Amino acid sequence: MTRVLCVAEKPSIAKAVANHLGGQARAENVNGIGWVKNYKFDFRFQQWGQCSVTFTCVAGHIVTHDFHERFRKWHSCQPAALFEAPIQSSIAEDKKLVAKNIESQARYASILFIWTDCDREGEHIGTEVRDIALKVNPNMQVYRARFSNIERAHVIQASQHPIRLDEAQANAVAARMELDLRLGAAFTRMQTMALQNMIPTQGDERGKVISYGSCQFPTLGFVVDRYLRVRNFVPEAFWYIRVAHTKDKIDVKFNWRRGHLFDRMAVIIILEKCFLAKTAKVIKMAKKPTKKWKPLPLTTVELQKNGSRFLRITSQEVMKIAEDLYTKGWISYPRTETDQFDKGMDLRALVARQTQDNAWGQFAQSLMDGGFRQPRDGRNNDKAHPPIHPVNYVASTQLNQNEKRVYEFVVRRFLACCSEDAVGEATDIEIDYAAEIFHAHGLTVIARNYLDVYPYDKWVSSQELPQYTVGEVFEPTEANMHDGQTSAPNYLTEPELIALMDANGIGTDATMAEHIAKVQEREYVIARPRAGGAVVIADNGADRGRGRGRGGARGGRGGRGGAAQNGGGGNTGGVQEFIPTTLGVALIEGYDNVGIDTSLGKPFLRKEMEVQMKAICEGRSTRHDVVQQNLEQYRAVFNRTAQQINVLKSAIRKYVLGEANQG
Amino acid sequence: MAANIALELTQHLHARHLYPSTAWMQNFLSTTRPNTPLPALKQTVGFRLLASDITTSLNPPATSLFPEDILRGTVQCRIVSGPVVCQILDIEDIGNSRWSQVEAIEAKERGEMTKGREIVRVVEQENDDPSAATAPIHSRGPFKLLLQDAKGVKIYALDVRGIEGLNTNMTMGVKLSLRNVDVRRAVVMLEPGNVQILGGKLEAFDKAWKEGRKERLMNAANSGGGIAG
Repeated sequence: MTRVLCVAEKPSIAKAVANHLGGQARAENVNGIGWVKNYKFDFRFQQWGQCSVTFTCVAGHIVTHDFHERFRKWHSCQPAALFEAPIQSSIAEDKKLVAKNIESQARYASILFIWTDCDREGEHIGTEVRDIALKVNPNMQVYRARFSNIERAHVIQASQHPIRLDEAQANAVAARMELDLRLGAAFTRMQTMALQNMIPTQGDERGKVISYGSCQFPTLGFVVDRYLRVRNFVPEAFWYIRVAHTKDKIDVKFNWRRGHLFDRMAVIIILEKCFLAKTAKVIKMAKKPTKKWKPLPLTTVELQKNGSRFLRITSQEVMKIAEDLYTKGWISYPRTETDQFDKGMDLRALVARQTQDNAWGQFAQSLMDGGFRQPRDGRNNDKAHPPIHPVNYVASTQLNQNEKRVYEFVVRRFLACCSEDAVGEATDIEIDYAAEIFHAHGLTVIARNYLDVYPYDKWVSSQELPQYTVGEVFEPTEANMHDGQTSAPNYLTEPELIALMDANGIGTDATMAEHIAKVQEREYVIARPRAGGAVVIADNGADRGRGRGRGGARGGRGGRGGAAQNGGGGNTGGVQEFIPTTLGVALIEGYDNVGIDTSLGKPFLRKEMEVQMKAICEGRSTRHDVVQQNLEQYRAVFNRTAQQINVLKSAIRKYVLGEANQG
Repeated sequence: MAANIALELTQHLHARHLYPSTAWMQNFLSTTRPNTPLPALKQTVGFRLLASDITTSLNPPATSLFPEDILRGTVQCRIVSGPVVCQILDIEDIGNSRWSQVEAIEAKERGEMTKGREIVRVVEQENDDPSAATAPIHSRGPFKLLLQDAKGVKIYALDVRGIEGLNTNMTMGVKLSLRNVDVRRAVVMLEPGNVQILGGKLEAFDKAWKEGRKERLMNAANSGGGIAG
């Protein structure tokens, strides 16, 4: 009987898949590592016939890369030498037994069937497993399974249709790892050696490593950029005109098309023109059907953004939970860029599984009873995984608090996708008043449709508007000048940061959360819950000003229900916001001052690298070219920074040591 | 002969409602070469006049000046038929906060532009007019301008309709010809139909104006801070 060795990326997947294929598969312990099991069973593969299968796993990457011994010590070489120092790969110390298990299993098998996750990292881990196996058994045939969730039918389908490892994707990861190692080590050593002594330490604490990462720094850059915008902000007064008219006993407020102007005199003159004109004329009266579109199928980035916005769970935490839900078989693979469902997918079957739930079951049933609509298609398809969706139903009692909320979000989002857009009627009235345009907008929600299952979106009817006719002339009951004041932007929140990283190509959907956690761990950034409720433009703000977020909010504002601490009112209340530390600000400003166009705090260099990774995956570039090209670019920055290290030092003096009179 | 040329040129300029002072005209004629053909001279004289400071170069009749009591704020509204030629001494975007304009200028100094959430590097092309390469979409204002007529009277004007060519990237010292303009409370209301942009500039003034713009905006933002009025 043919022997097949299957290897998954982590224990939970090995267990789940083995049980799907082998029924109650026999689990054998592996010497020395409790968490790895070898599952043994017989299985009939359509392509290889009846086989004896061993299903085992690794735990992420097994092979590590590091510089040659000679370069490993901090003072063993100039940091610049790390741009070309030889790199050695070896089995990671803590993965030796895992590798040994694969070696010994590979000896008896003639087919290696790889079940690592279907993404770039998974592809690379697959090649690591393959290399280990082929070393002891060069005659093995190597295949990989394509799967995106571990639901039974899907897994069996994948087992019958093996494909090949994608070398291009593995190469992209290899290029990224080499660049991360070289750039990380070179810049970290250089800046640590130059700046470490300047950073005050507490007690016996040894000087801190000032670590560099090519994604971390742009991530930090976004936080610093926003922070400085908030700090530098200057509030300004503005003025605007509002017109009111009472018709059919309804008080209609008309807003100025211009919004507001920053010149009082101009507004007064315009207002006087209106007074002189006396009457206004209706130039538009339109009632038209309007829709609020149902959401797009769920991607990783969207899950992370919504997780922190609506569930108040950090992006990293959301991913961990989603990962757990995936390995338990409740949802599909949570790392995906795809926001369109394959037309061949049986979405109704997935909806049907949700009908038993107490909260959304009825809604799911209504979809089954004819309400089902094909989801909208987004513009992204990574060709590897479908959008995140529920695979199986799990009762909320089987999940912990946060799992429950993430699962609920995924399900509701999915059901919303399979439902219909919300339908309403919009009324738009425009009047011409002394050649100035004022407008009133009304909305009547007619059918909530998807909103019934998706409470995260808000769409509510406004006040009803009276009927006007175009050409109708009336004398407004009121036209007044009001004033207000601009308010500073808020500090960056996690959903905003993720959106910025996404738009600027920093990290992949799979790694963004890690980078955000990293800059906090490095003490470049601190996160804190946003104080106070949502910020609104005050009509006649007393003294709102720069103090917001400091002491100001604590006093509770405007008697809107006391403690503003976690003011649940607005959508954003209680969300986390990021503030850079003095070291964080100093590093970004330092690098910006060394050279703005290639500053490490800007996203440009890293974005270019990310684009080149894609090029490797698509066969348009090679690992070697990409590595060389990037090394060259970063080396130029490195040299410039080393020459102008005083620029960095003075930024440290300014912010960390507070030598300039800045805060 | 010279007198003839002077007459021809003066007539040419008058037809455009430009009334050069005698002194300016003489000075101009003294700098021209004797054999320059008339059409070329006409071009040059127009060009030079528009590049001059009209408070010294023009000497128009009263109808081509703002009325003497134009700055009386008690007059609710009046029509000045003109045509009044004036030069632009300042333009402010009053549709955007000064601070947001400062931020935009600083982003431009860094060579950055934002496209939605994406930060884009603006690469300046060489051999190319840099203002053309980096001038993104202009603000639509509205704008508040400071105008000056040939007698040196300074008056505010509002462009609330969005007149083509008026924006904060324009050259200071550009000459305008105003006809039948509505003046309200000592502020000229500019409308597309009553403003003709003649062109020209005040070179040194423009340079200083542009260099000082960011600082003026910052100062204005800071002083106008809080709730005014």
